[in-house]
Amino acid sequence: MTGQMIFFIIFALIAITGAVLIIALKRISHRVVSMAFSFMAVAALYFLLGAEFIGIIQIMVYVGAITILFVFGMMMTDHRNFSFGPDPRKWQQALSFVGVATLLGLMLYGISTLDMHESTQPFVGSVEAIGLELYGHYFIAFLGSAFLLTSALIGAIVIARKEAD
Amino acid sequence: MVPVTFFLALAAILFCIGLYGVLTRRHLVIVLVCIELMLNSVNINLVAFSAIGPFANITGQVFTLFVITVAAAEAAVGLAILIALYRNRNSIDVIKHDLLRW
Repeated sequence: MTGQMIFFIIFALIAITGAVLIIALKRISHRVVSMAFSFMAVAALYFLLGAEFIGIIQIMVYVGAITILFVFGMMMTDHRNFSFGPDPRKWQQALSFVGVATLLGLMLYGISTLDMHESTQPFVGSVEAIGLELYGHYFIAFLGSAFLLTSALIGAIVIARKEAD
Repeated sequence: MVPVTFFLALAAILFCIGLYGVLTRRHLVIVLVCIELMLNSVNINLVAFSAIGPFANITGQVFTLFVITVAAAEAAVGLAILIALYRNRNSIDVIKHDLLRW
């Protein structure tokens, strides 16, 4: 077992544990913290794959910005009341568990029977290569994402403000 | 080197955990968190194929950047809708918001 395999297993276990704790924990604040742990482990996996730029962006955007955004969203809403009483849709919960478990089983079966010739040497993409591709082939999509971010900013302000009347 | 199928299996597991959370949890913030988890598992697939896939090139990482952009915009607008919803109807229970259900 190589060192990379050991680190992969450690980070994968952290990511899966964080994801399970998002569903299993009781308090909303604890769930958001476990989400940050899961995203951090995924960023470590990106570093393991040699994608340093994506890993840093993951830490900045997901662990930094989105987690803080969720903490603020949690604070501005009803976060003390973390139980809503008895759930009237018990059968629906069981049904969705069966459905998701079936989907996971099918996907894992498909992945395990996959026959792919892999490159032995990992491809390391530099930041320069990402920038050349982003400003070359995908320039229109880059402009589109700029428009998307602007409209999301304006839309979020308009939706969340108090009605000024 | 870790084989690419391991990364695919990890992404599938994370995606299914997120999907189960979206389908069953009742707190609206947690539903949004689980959607972020699903988007993140897709990013793992893209970066894994970009690094050690059969045709390894840089395109997967570029598309990961676009997915992260869309996820950030989605989180901002989703939380704004959530705050407006909480202000108007005074609840963040998913079951209570069934106005458009038939």
